[in-house]
Amino acid sequence: MVAVAQHPNIELMTYSEVVKVTGYIGNFTATIKKKAKYVDWDLCTGCGTCWEKCPSKKIKDEFEMDMANRTAIHKLFPQAVPGKPRIDAANCTKLTSGKCGICEKLCPTKAIRFDDKDELVDVEVGAMVMATGYDLIDWQNSYGEYGYGKYPDVITSLQFERLVSAGGPTTGKIKRPSDGKEPKKVAFIKCVGSRDDSKGKSYCSRACCMYTAKHAYQVKDKIPGSEAYVFYMDVRTGGKNYEEFYQRSLNAGAKYIRGRVSKIYPRGDKLILKSEDTLLGRPMEFEADLVVLATAMVPAQNSLQLAKMIGFSVDKDGWYQEAHPKLQPVETFAAGVYLAGSCQGPKDIPDSVAQASAAAVKVCGLFSKTRMAVEPMTSEVDISKCSGCQLCVPICPYSAISMKEIQERGGHGHGPFTRQVAEVNSSLCQGCGACLPACRTAALNLKGFTDEQLVAEVDSLCL
Amino acid sequence: MKKRVGVFVCQCGTNIEANVDTEKVAEYARNLPGVVYSTTYKYMCSDPGQEMIRNAVKEQQLQQVVVASCSPRMHENTFRRAVEAGGLNGYLFEMVNIREQDSWVHHDRGEATRKAMDLVRMGVMKVLKNKPLNISTIPITKKALVVGGGIAGMQTALDIAEAGHPVILVEKEASIGGKMTQIDKTFPTMDCAA
Amino acid sequence: MSINEANAWQPKVIVFACNWCSYAAADLAGLNHLEYPAEVRIIRTPCSGRMDPLLVMRALNRGADGVLLSG
Repeated sequence: MVAVAQHPNIELMTYSEVVKVTGYIGNFTATIKKKAKYVDWDLCTGCGTCWEKCPSKKIKDEFEMDMANRTAIHKLFPQAVPGKPRIDAANCTKLTSGKCGICEKLCPTKAIRFDDKDELVDVEVGAMVMATGYDLIDWQNSYGEYGYGKYPDVITSLQFERLVSAGGPTTGKIKRPSDGKEPKKVAFIKCVGSRDDSKGKSYCSRACCMYTAKHAYQVKDKIPGSEAYVFYMDVRTGGKNYEEFYQRSLNAGAKYIRGRVSKIYPRGDKLILKSEDTLLGRPMEFEADLVVLATAMVPAQNSLQLAKMIGFSVDKDGWYQEAHPKLQPVETFAAGVYLAGSCQGPKDIPDSVAQASAAAVKVCGLFSKTRMAVEPMTSEVDISKCSGCQLCVPICPYSAISMKEIQERGGHGHGPFTRQVAEVNSSLCQGCGACLPACRTAALNLKGFTDEQLVAEVDSLCL
Repeated sequence: MKKRVGVFVCQCGTNIEANVDTEKVAEYARNLPGVVYSTTYKYMCSDPGQEMIRNAVKEQQLQQVVVASCSPRMHENTFRRAVEAGGLNGYLFEMVNIREQDSWVHHDRGEATRKAMDLVRMGVMKVLKNKPLNISTIPITKKALVVGGGIAGMQTALDIAEAGHPVILVEKEASIGGKMTQIDKTFPTMDCAA
Repeated sequence: MSINEANAWQPKVIVFACNWCSYAAADLAGLNHLEYPAEVRIIRTPCSGRMDPLLVMRALNRGADGVLLSG
């Protein structure tokens, strides 16, 4: 992370979003919205006085998966890069009611800007790499049998990561969210939302088998005398050293039970899991102190809108569509737009990093040339025939047609005059020919697939 | 434009030849309007096959070329380059698909051969209407935009930056790092994620 | 005349196939050796958006028995 921030060739734009992209390979213009942070990061030293003194302290900390509180002015997490805070406008009393302003008074470098506004900047780039990642499936709305999220001790794997992390809300001690007690019996349920056509997604999320093996190991490692049970459909360890890692969990004492958990309900301060052991062919009831759900990965929020706006396709589940599943795994159907990481489909870290480097090579390959050749089979306008009706302009899916004014000499008693005709930007034109049928005067033609060529083909076949 | 079409019928080993009588197709092509040269070869895409096209373009002063072989989605560029190497504009060339869309899907040799003739005739008629096209070039802005600052975005940005190109890394949160920063240790090595 | 007879009349069908999907699909059919009537003739188009209704009319007018536009 620090290496990225310090690299002289990398310009970081955090708390920013791409809102508009125009242009084409080699020549994109992207409009980026730098969202209001209410802190001037050029002046801010990240000293921490503001968030220590902020009186709005009871805001759920999203980074800690709502298992801790934060202040209105806050850093995303202590090791954030850049290590500067922003004000959460919705929860800041100064910004919502005009009172407070303590951070502004205390800031030693006078960096607080309550009048900060979103800012739009345009950048010119030659290539784009999409690395928008994933979110976790909204299991609370679909998995009623696991309590719709109303049992505090049924948590997700990402919440478990925070509990087990030295930097997390419990400084790495595994504690139950309900009463802060150390759980002795932890149950893990895999494939919550993955490989579940009826309630979730049909695909496998690929990372869960391994992180659950890790979690089970961590339970055994951190809590003396503990038990870790994993309810699974299959154990998939396809990766270098993955099977060995799984075996390490087993050797540490993790117990694997093949079966789907059909219901979770509380009994006293315990959770009861109803399941089946399909290897024994027996229904079972199981008591646990903490239940961890390995929830499915889904495409990141807003990633679909982003794809539509830039103009490349997504698959049936909303993952970004690669140009070819085997031979072009990091390219999209939009030239100059590449994919890295789990925006293309569920991935673990090694695969994400490998794909990221592959995308980088594609970009560097493009950048190794100063100019690039473009396919000459594009539309062209015969301006002597164009009536300027503009019907072709909205038809073009690539916005390659615009109108221009031309001078005519006149004649028949008329003086010189100007008129509008269509013009095709051959760099934007992808040669689909959709504009041709729209042209009432046959002024448009598609090079390589002209009317004359297609008519010749039709005639030759219909002798 | 002068009409001097050369037709090259590929046998693709036996992939085409098994169901299409390529000699018969080549002979049929010879009598089509504008065709001055027609031949068959075992593997038109191979080096000797391409050389055949190059030489014929030069020696026969061909003005148009039709290659009847596999799908243009496979070898259109291969043959276009061969035509250009012979000194002709690469767009005065058409490809006719007599493998994927003929010999592989029709098992009656007579019917498949007849279809191949039809397709070659179609290719010749089309190529006579072709015009030379020129490849234009566009400039490339050597600056990349990476959308998303998680592990994948950071790695991409670093690699491109290391290669010497400027990169803009856009992240919607106030810090880079993504989901990875929430993760404790990572399998299989148990490295820390930060 | 029964269509099962030898030399039976076969309808001549002109297919306009989009290069990116249907034409590729026809290639795939070839790759899998899926047989279909030999009277089908495929014309490659860059996209089904390119298709002018006049081309369909032209084909029918010139004696095609059927036109399939696929994309």
